[in-house]
Amino acid sequence: MARMKFLCDADRCIDCNACVTACKNENEVPWGINRRRVVTINDGKPGERSVSMACMHCTDPPCASVCPVNCIFPTEDGVVLHNKDQCIGCGYCFYACPFGAPQYPQVGNFGSRGKMDKCTYCAGGGGPEAPGSAAEFAKYGSNRFGDGKLPLCAEMCSTKSLLAGDGDIIAQIYGERVRKRGYGSGAWGWTTAYHDDVEV
Amino acid sequence: MLIRKSDRRRGSAKPVLAEANRPGGGLDRRTFLKRSGIAAGALAALGELALNGVRKAEAGPPAAPGAPVATRKNICTHCSVGCSVIAKVSNGVWIGQEPDYDSPINRGSHCCKGAAVRDDVLSERRLRYPVKLVNGQWMRISWETAINEIGDKLMEIRQNAGPDSVYWLGSAKFTNEAAYLNRKLAAFWGTNNSDHQARICHSTTVTGVANTWGYGAMTNSYNDIRNARTILLMGGNPAEAHPVSLQHILEGKELNRANMIVVDPRMTRTAAHATEYVRVRPGTHIATIYGMLWHIFENGWEDKEFLSQRVYGVDEIRKAAAKWNPKEVERVTGLPEAQVKHIAELFAKQKPATLIWAMGQTQFTTGTANVRASCLLLLATGNVGMPGAGANIFRGHTNVQGATDLGLDVTTLPLYYGLAEGAWRHWCRVWEVDYEWMKSRFPSKTLMETPGIPSTRWFDATLLPKDQISQPNPVQAMFVMGHGVNTITRMPEAVRGIEKLELLVVCDPYPTAWSVLSERKNGTYLLPACTSFEMEGSRTASNRSLQWGEKIVEPVFESKNDYDLMYMLARKLGFAEAMFKNIKVEYGAVSAEDILREINRGGWSTGYCGQSPERLKAHMRNQAKFDLVTLRAPKDDPEVGGDYYGLPWPCWGTPEFRHPGTPLLYNNNLSVKDGGGSFRARFGVERVVKRKVMENGQEVEREEHDNLLAEGSYSVGSDIKDGYPEFTLGVLKKLGWDKELTPQEMEIIRRVNSADPDKVSWSLDLSGGIQRVAIEHGCSPYGNGKARMIAWNLPDPIPVYREPIYTPRPDLVADYPTLPDAKQFRVPNIGFSVQKSAVDRGISKQFPLILSSGRLVEYEGGGEETRSNKWLAELKQYMYVEINPADAAQRGIKDGGWVWVTGAENSSRTRVKAMVTERVGKGVAWMPFHFAGFFEGDDLRAKYPRGADPIVLGESVNTLTTYGYDPATGMQEPKATLCQIRAA
Amino acid sequence: MVMTFLARFRLATFVLALLAIAAAAPVFAQKVNPDGAPNPTASVTSQRELLQQVPRITGRIDIPDTKASVLIQPAGRTWDYFHQVLLRRGGAIVILGTVLLLAIGYLILGRLRISAGRSGQKVVRFKAFERFAHWLTAASFIILGLTGLNITFGKAALLPIVGPDTFAAISQVAKYVHNFTSFAFVAGLVLITVIFFKDNLLEKVDIDWLKQGGGFIKNRHAPAGRFNFGEKIVFWLSISAGIAVSASGFLLLFPFYGTDILGMQLAQMVHAVVAILFVALILAHIYIGTVGMEGAFEAMGTGEVDLNWAKEHHDQWIAKKLAGENGRGEPTATPAE
Repeated sequence: MARMKFLCDADRCIDCNACVTACKNENEVPWGINRRRVVTINDGKPGERSVSMACMHCTDPPCASVCPVNCIFPTEDGVVLHNKDQCIGCGYCFYACPFGAPQYPQVGNFGSRGKMDKCTYCAGGGGPEAPGSAAEFAKYGSNRFGDGKLPLCAEMCSTKSLLAGDGDIIAQIYGERVRKRGYGSGAWGWTTAYHDDVEV
Repeated sequence: MLIRKSDRRRGSAKPVLAEANRPGGGLDRRTFLKRSGIAAGALAALGELALNGVRKAEAGPPAAPGAPVATRKNICTHCSVGCSVIAKVSNGVWIGQEPDYDSPINRGSHCCKGAAVRDDVLSERRLRYPVKLVNGQWMRISWETAINEIGDKLMEIRQNAGPDSVYWLGSAKFTNEAAYLNRKLAAFWGTNNSDHQARICHSTTVTGVANTWGYGAMTNSYNDIRNARTILLMGGNPAEAHPVSLQHILEGKELNRANMIVVDPRMTRTAAHATEYVRVRPGTHIATIYGMLWHIFENGWEDKEFLSQRVYGVDEIRKAAAKWNPKEVERVTGLPEAQVKHIAELFAKQKPATLIWAMGQTQFTTGTANVRASCLLLLATGNVGMPGAGANIFRGHTNVQGATDLGLDVTTLPLYYGLAEGAWRHWCRVWEVDYEWMKSRFPSKTLMETPGIPSTRWFDATLLPKDQISQPNPVQAMFVMGHGVNTITRMPEAVRGIEKLELLVVCDPYPTAWSVLSERKNGTYLLPACTSFEMEGSRTASNRSLQWGEKIVEPVFESKNDYDLMYMLARKLGFAEAMFKNIKVEYGAVSAEDILREINRGGWSTGYCGQSPERLKAHMRNQAKFDLVTLRAPKDDPEVGGDYYGLPWPCWGTPEFRHPGTPLLYNNNLSVKDGGGSFRARFGVERVVKRKVMENGQEVEREEHDNLLAEGSYSVGSDIKDGYPEFTLGVLKKLGWDKELTPQEMEIIRRVNSADPDKVSWSLDLSGGIQRVAIEHGCSPYGNGKARMIAWNLPDPIPVYREPIYTPRPDLVADYPTLPDAKQFRVPNIGFSVQKSAVDRGISKQFPLILSSGRLVEYEGGGEETRSNKWLAELKQYMYVEINPADAAQRGIKDGGWVWVTGAENSSRTRVKAMVTERVGKGVAWMPFHFAGFFEGDDLRAKYPRGADPIVLGESVNTLTTYGYDPATGMQEPKATLCQIRAA
Repeated sequence: MVMTFLARFRLATFVLALLAIAAAAPVFAQKVNPDGAPNPTASVTSQRELLQQVPRITGRIDIPDTKASVLIQPAGRTWDYFHQVLLRRGGAIVILGTVLLLAIGYLILGRLRISAGRSGQKVVRFKAFERFAHWLTAASFIILGLTGLNITFGKAALLPIVGPDTFAAISQVAKYVHNFTSFAFVAGLVLITVIFFKDNLLEKVDIDWLKQGGGFIKNRHAPAGRFNFGEKIVFWLSISAGIAVSASGFLLLFPFYGTDILGMQLAQMVHAVVAILFVALILAHIYIGTVGMEGAFEAMGTGEVDLNWAKEHHDQWIAKKLAGENGRGEPTATPAE
């Protein structure tokens, strides 16, 4: 069975932020919410690497685990979706998320964060809305997945650094790359997200 | 993981897209699986993919249920890579973007700008209707009123001051057709004051490189970098300026385990992926290159065969390089001998090696000499004219290559014909207008043939006293189409210039900084132009490929496309009929195809003659057929068989001749009809030099005739097995090939020059016959010459190291001063006096930090468009200055804190945020140049027309930049000046 | 979820992470070439090694959201483990255990009667304002406790009964009730602290009370002032716990003000653990103040207690109170009749 994952090849990532605006464009994500972001470590120093990060759609997703209302759940494809109708905006998913993925429309004083928003793998929402409907789009964004398309962030990545798709396939692509070029800084977040690393 | 052609085609995303556009589109698992591979740029067909948990979408979400969704293809307007954009359009609204996996240039990829272009069209911040400034207030007017008032004022200025007092500033954002039309408009108006962004971008490259080997453009292509063994980037940060090019660079680097060397003052995002990073002082490029050449000649690493067959003048370079011993190189550049030797050795020995550059070489007073030095390195190591090598010059804007080619330049008519009488006569023939009438448009034949004022100097030409300007009167009106004012240096003086203008017209999708910078109260018009996504036309990417863009949606609000706008104006100015004689105009709508056809009919010199709209459209339809590396389609394809993608110029002959285009310039391993070629014999067949030689123990001066034609080198399949001059009818006759011309071709040739048809050359022959015959004999129409290491017509015939005008090393100015003051391009260039004064006044003590500027990935150019794009603006919300932690600590500056940066001229100052980072070395500060809307601490937001203010405003770095102009091109010097920073 | 070895390992890492306070510092894990020249590709940054060196990988980000600069924090998983396993199991054990213990105590000891029987004579133990302060705190505590427990246990206990949508609605209301009731609780806490501070200072008599096992062991009443040592312990524990839950609660209420992800996780952990213990403590307090002891509830109910109850449980206080009243020339406690 397909298990959808993301993999950012940091040796290819150039911090161009295409993934960020592709996500905003495809899902009409409002200002202030960053479902995807690029973080640069060792900025300006040797060993500088940029990594594009969003919801990794974890195995045993900790966000789903800590959610007090069980509104987050993984699908059979491993995509972690959530139901905004049930979300109470407690913020626990953010504390549990190893990748800083959950976003909230407001700062959240007095618990007024609003409904949590995060990367949906461009697979619509986990609510009752009809897949691909305008109602679903307004709440969660695009449902490319239902059309057989991958998340736009990965599809538009400038250097093919960000990979999306079946975990085995993208791990193999990454592994081949590392073997070919002779170096690799690792599959960022994989051990944390999937209890699994890409063996090269 | 290079995709093999066959694999990639099988894995085409087309079926998926087709599915997507059908409501209730089913899921093709096999395609989905493939897509994962395509997204990665590789295919690994493995396993079964089952989608279970996520429900299938019924339809594309934002489209109304049942509404048809069309896909249209255009080209991203933000840099020169030329990424295809696929737009989904429903009910006339642009509802989404899809990756275009078929494009061999970007294979679906974008950078943040390309992935956000939809908001360039949807943006709420677009200028909605024409406005004019009335007593300091913006007032809405109709298009008719605007054109009438503007036209009347222009005619009044023409009457009183002459046509040269109107400055036509065009744009690299134009399509080829609009750029051409804009140049034609200036010609019909009667001035050569017609320029665009290339002036501040690659004007020095065009001049320097063309003077070396014939054409001033990228010799290879982005895709071809995949073939390189050594990739040397000097003065470029493509990871931010051309992000998608990194796909080719990094994949090439990985596949070949290539050396990727970045020489740059900043540890850029590009440098982060280099195998070697060399930090260099801004402005020391020539010293670095000579330092490398010193090691190359010292160790005999040069390509001797290449030099003897295809290069002229290496001996003088040997002499010049000999002076740059490692000690002197280290004194000037700070680079240790071992490092210079190492990169020189890699570049010379690990071939093919390519040299990549952008503004880091061009934007200096020595810009032309800098790029010439780069060419020398390539020539000395024999790295030109083959796959994986070459000068990969990354142009900046979508169509800065095309706009340059089409003559938005003060020194030439379209396609580098120059301004001489012959050039004017050529274009008058193409335009079918009388030469004498054209001449009458100008104040004099002299001014008609004199280069105009560069865009960098427009305000000097406005402010300087009349007697210092070599034209009848100073500039009184600026007619600006798609050009920011904040990209030009010395902004405090530009502000005064704006204030002095009689008339300022800005045609742009956004108000731009022109509208807010000054205290002007009247005489300013803002005309809403649409973006290139709202119009048809072709664009020339940096690799010289032309791509045809479809209109995605109708121009939004009241905006108009450039063609229609210029037609309206031409009609008002009274020459529309002559100007659009062969261009169809229906109900005010100008046919872009017809403009391109006219370009084809006149574009022989640069091979813009074969790219008919039909051929370009066929290429866009068949993108998937072109190879990723060679860019060539299979020969048996019915529509695009054997073509190179986008018919990269030169694409010789008529469209019917079906030349495939030239993917790599000067590649003599291919026959000319397959896109090969030789160095252009542009500079004559021989050079007469007086040399002192020893004869019988006595020194005598002897006149020597140096051969400028290639020796023993020729392109594959050439019937002439040696160098040869450019083709004319006379040459054809000598060779006995003139009989192969058809009677029709002969007829046209005779008409071109009835007095002396033998003089009609390959570039003036409107029939294309001379080109056809030459190519059928395997010859380059432009001849087979040598590349020049000595360009005797330039101010510095061989590159001479010169300190920047404002240098932190006044001690070096005595040895390496800038060129003496002179009058260039109708205005004085007093660089020498400014440099001397700065040294005398000890400016480098008051302003101890080097200030350099450059690009951010999120923004482009003056930035009005990208700063108005809500998805981009969010990513960089503040203007900032990068400062090294050591310099920051000294000044008590904290990361993220506000600082005042002060400049060395005009008591200029800017208030910006500090970014304390090791990206810049100690003693260097760096600022992005895309910001405007704050000026010396003042917020100008209220001065924008209501609702059209960009989301993000900031101080412009060019408020701080200073004097300094390249003598050969008028290029400014924003890459190396001085500043001081203190906490605010 | 079972506690695998990996989870234990992660817990250990997490504890280490808590100790590494300066963890927000930039990451330096690149390898530098021997000659010191920057050679970016050669010095590949390995994420695996980085994660061994620092608990959180952070970097530079240009958007204003500073918390977005944390790239990976595996501690999130550990926090999840804490929250879902340790807290829930521990919390359940502590609370149910307390209830069980109290039940056992009740079964063994029964209701502690007033040995001398009711005198019928009433003395004022708590004035109206004091009772207001107590009940303000008590009521808000119960609301906070229930709404708080809902966050941790609701999805196990309540959700299956009412269904997900109703449960989400309830929880949403509960969240806001919890957040705003907190202010009442803090107000009550401040009042209680101020009012009862002096009487809860430790005295010599507390040692005697302790020696006599609080009267539980030798089944005779131990000496005490206004508050006996047991009550004082409840007081001080409550004040401490109150401060801890309030402080951590306010950090949670104003997320990421002056704190980061580690701070938020810590705040939540402190809040949850202390709250659970607090609930257990208060359960005991409720027990002794209601069913556990005859005559005790009246003190906070009406404010008046029976004289004999006072003499048995707070001998020194009643003695002093009576003496004080005598000294002021007031009549001694008069019969109720």
